[in-house]
Amino acid sequence: MGEYIIKRTLQMTVVFFLFLVFSYLLFNAIPGNAFSNLLLNPDLPPDAYNRVLELYGLDKPLFERLQLYIVNFFKGDFGYSYKSFPKTPIELIAERLPRTLMLFAIVNIVSFYTGFFIGKILAWRRGSKSETWITLTSVFSYTVFYPWFALMMLWVFGYKLGWLPIGKFLYPEKWYDAPFDSDIVFSSMIKFTIVVSLIQFAAYLATRGIESLSSRRNLRFASLIAIFIGSYFYWNNGAALIKKPYAADIAYHMILPVMVVTIVAFAGTALLTRTTMMEVLKEDYILTARAKGISQKRIRDRHAARTALLPVVTSFIFTIVTIIDGSVLTEQIFSWPGMGQLLLQSVLEEDIPVAMACFSFVGVFALVAHLLADISYSYLDPRIRIKSQG
Amino acid sequence: MSKEVLSVKNLNMHYETLSGDVHAVKDVSFSVKEGESFGLVGESGCGKTSVAMSLLQLQADNAKISSGSIQLDGVELVGMNESELRKVRWDGISIVFQGAMNAWNPVVKVGEQIREAIREHYPEKSKAENTEKIESLFQMVGLDATVIDRFPHELSGGMKQRAIIALALSCDPKVVIADEPTTALDVVIQDQILNEIKKVQQLLGLSLIYISHDIAVIAEMTDQMAVMYAGSIVEIGPTEKVFSTPKHAYTRLLLESTPSVVGEKKKLRSLDGEPPSLINEIIGCSFSPRCPDPSSDCKNPIKEMGLVEIEPGHFADNCCVDCG
Amino acid sequence: MNKNIEQDLQKQLRKEAIRKNWNLFRQSKLGMIGLYIVIFFLFLALLQPFLFITGIWNKGVYDPVVGYEAIKDTLLVVECPKEYPTEKYESMKDCPGEGEINVKRLYLAPGVEVGDYYEAFIQPAPPSSRHLLGTDSLGRDVFSQIMEGSQVAFVLGFLSATLGVGISTILGTIAAFFGGRVDAYLMRQSDLILMLPSLPLLFIISAFAELKVWHLAIVLGVLGGLGGSVITIKSQALQVKVKPFVDSARITGGSRWRIMFSHVLPNVAPLALLFMVFSVTGAIASESVLSFLGLLNIDMSWGIMIYLSQTDGFIFSGLEFWWLILPAGLAVTLLAGGFYLVGRGLDDVFNPRLRKR
Repeated sequence: MGEYIIKRTLQMTVVFFLFLVFSYLLFNAIPGNAFSNLLLNPDLPPDAYNRVLELYGLDKPLFERLQLYIVNFFKGDFGYSYKSFPKTPIELIAERLPRTLMLFAIVNIVSFYTGFFIGKILAWRRGSKSETWITLTSVFSYTVFYPWFALMMLWVFGYKLGWLPIGKFLYPEKWYDAPFDSDIVFSSMIKFTIVVSLIQFAAYLATRGIESLSSRRNLRFASLIAIFIGSYFYWNNGAALIKKPYAADIAYHMILPVMVVTIVAFAGTALLTRTTMMEVLKEDYILTARAKGISQKRIRDRHAARTALLPVVTSFIFTIVTIIDGSVLTEQIFSWPGMGQLLLQSVLEEDIPVAMACFSFVGVFALVAHLLADISYSYLDPRIRIKSQG
Repeated sequence: MSKEVLSVKNLNMHYETLSGDVHAVKDVSFSVKEGESFGLVGESGCGKTSVAMSLLQLQADNAKISSGSIQLDGVELVGMNESELRKVRWDGISIVFQGAMNAWNPVVKVGEQIREAIREHYPEKSKAENTEKIESLFQMVGLDATVIDRFPHELSGGMKQRAIIALALSCDPKVVIADEPTTALDVVIQDQILNEIKKVQQLLGLSLIYISHDIAVIAEMTDQMAVMYAGSIVEIGPTEKVFSTPKHAYTRLLLESTPSVVGEKKKLRSLDGEPPSLINEIIGCSFSPRCPDPSSDCKNPIKEMGLVEIEPGHFADNCCVDCG
Repeated sequence: MNKNIEQDLQKQLRKEAIRKNWNLFRQSKLGMIGLYIVIFFLFLALLQPFLFITGIWNKGVYDPVVGYEAIKDTLLVVECPKEYPTEKYESMKDCPGEGEINVKRLYLAPGVEVGDYYEAFIQPAPPSSRHLLGTDSLGRDVFSQIMEGSQVAFVLGFLSATLGVGISTILGTIAAFFGGRVDAYLMRQSDLILMLPSLPLLFIISAFAELKVWHLAIVLGVLGGLGGSVITIKSQALQVKVKPFVDSARITGGSRWRIMFSHVLPNVAPLALLFMVFSVTGAIASESVLSFLGLLNIDMSWGIMIYLSQTDGFIFSGLEFWWLILPAGLAVTLLAGGFYLVGRGLDDVFNPRLRKR
């Protein structure tokens, strides 16, 4: 396993290098003098332009520029943002990343879980009328024109009904006299979510050894209750208490995007689950389970669904790999200032240092996520052990 | 005189398909006593597996029992609803499947899958009790206790088979159905497994229903046997008697087509043609199209079918007693 | 002589197989619904050139891009008050009402006074007998635009899907079959493509290249083909590779290429076909989103229609100007969904284990 990781990392480095070169050339292919955008910035101190020019060799020919960029890149120097000079791309990314991660982690978990759940039901009710209707509904929610649908939902829930906020991720008025930035609140929210998930996961693992199924279920449920109570105490005491209204504000703003994306995205997972489950249900071991006297419901949930989980998890990881790319449209529509929006804007405004940094970030993220996916898949399915496949 | 553990009377079962109803089990009756092993032999597609599945009512969705009774220890199984049936499955009757290679869920450990069966019927038992039970079962079938924590793909074919037997015994059933359990194994392993089964049966006093198309295995393993053709039983009786004095033409041909290591070298006879399709109702003697020496009476469509007693306990199908 | 008989037999077997598959497909309700939808849109796509060629439709009027018909209506000129409610109007929305026009809009027309009747051009015009779905703000027939969009969708969909699936099937099979370095290289290549954020990439490409339908189809096809689908096809090909018939093909001396093309590829084909159908869905959806964002240089498509309705400000007009947004949006959803359902039907055909008895 270790050998595989090393080999893979080496390959990844090569790929990343190619990726860098390719992206840089791509950006430079855009007509117009790319780095003259820097000049357009009204906040620029007068000599800054020349300094930057010199530092980064922006007036040299393409090949030299490329070399310089790559050298600087691996030194950790990404230049300065053209648009928001003198902020560096790292600052901008650091600011925006938690927002995207928070929102899209929740979005993906909710939509995958919903899709999985509905797929299970579809596989079970095969051939019945409800299957046809559920399928038709999910197909058409999948193919609905996303920008229009999202805007419609914004209009209905935000404007007409006024139930949910229209875009953005907080009400500026509420944050006027906040003692800290939104990033801090975000990071504590993310930490909280991670801790909660870990506790639940640990509870799941710990109860695996228990024989009686009913007591297993009870213990896991008890852990859920414990988490609820724990969270209540956490948010109402000490440092967290002050953050609570702000965290609540952010959470409130997340409801609509999560809802909209789930409706549009669940059908893909549902179909995948359904197909896999139906194949699994014809396997011999399902027959054995029936012969053992196990109820249909339990067979469905413990045997069939467990195996159907594998391709779903793969698909989930694929989605995570492309999480930032997928967030671009949603962030744009809901005015959620995250990585996706940064990426898009930097490309549109030809803010090359930021755009390159974003691309690089997306690239690294994709590679690492892919590697993690391959590794975790071998744990999920004991039949697959990493051989010398690429 | 041991009592009857399983009694099947006039069982009829059919499959509903797009091209019509396939009458797979026709008027099958037999009984199995406590501690006895009963063999069911016949060609592929003659209905043996359908009978086995009907006993546990595990057939496919489009299969229905049209009529008949199946009684386990006096309790009628036909007509029970799903939740009642689930209690009987594995606890009363268990089954060792054909192609038991795939009977294991590949992502769950072997021990856990056996535990699951025990848990279903005896939820009060503790983990230690179950582990003990599984270990003793494994010992009985000749498996090491370390197999409990293995995944199915880590075991060889023979090991998987033995584990399947252990699984089938895990809830101390009264009857175990073995549906071609050794077909996919090589002869050496086959012999071992058969010996294990015999040993276990004697040890636990189980009743065994052994289904095979291999008549030699049936000869070795069973006390009573039945020969099936085209969905119905054509000959039934004590194994010894059926082998020494087979009455039905089909039985005789089956025996004559099996090579023997002992005795004089004989030319084997084989059977031409194939079993009839069960979609259309068969009128008259189902075997007559293939019978090598039919009597003039055989083609008569209104000839009365049914088993007649040739000698005490040994029955054969009316039609072919006089033929062949 | 023998060869002819063999070929005839093969042809016959193939015909029978197709007929059998068709019957199986027919059994799937969802697949049939999808098929009807697709056929309907195909009909629309073909209807337009037919109408033009036969002259039933005058090109000058009905051309989706440059057609124009002046639609006039006589309206009463009114002056909208500054404060509401008045005895005539309840709120600002009611003025001007049906059949009325605000005098302020006619500032360019000389000599018009309140109380006069004025013949104004109303574009976009609501559906009428001459224009089944009305016209857009430039006076172009919406129904004709829908049909044009249908053509675009089919061309784009099929071109990009075929290209993408063709590439990924071949690459995936090669990766599965040759393994080792070739496999590693191909996996890294799809990694590279996966890494690129698609939307920004398309923005960049559209910045320095004019994207017409063909160009977009090729770009989408190549990007799709070289990306993640290679991995999926590869795992399918791997499963086929371990089947006994491949071994026997090898033993009988088939070269690797031959085995790949005559044996492995046909068995991967059903999955690839499924992929293709779902790719079409994706392509149609992508095009509409991209047009909506103003990235494309196409003359007319459903995405362009929605884009125009947004830039003209009608997108939130609710039900008032429904013909500007609803037909296009519905068309995208229906056709994409239709292909998806066809894919579902094919799923039932190619996966015998999933069939009903």
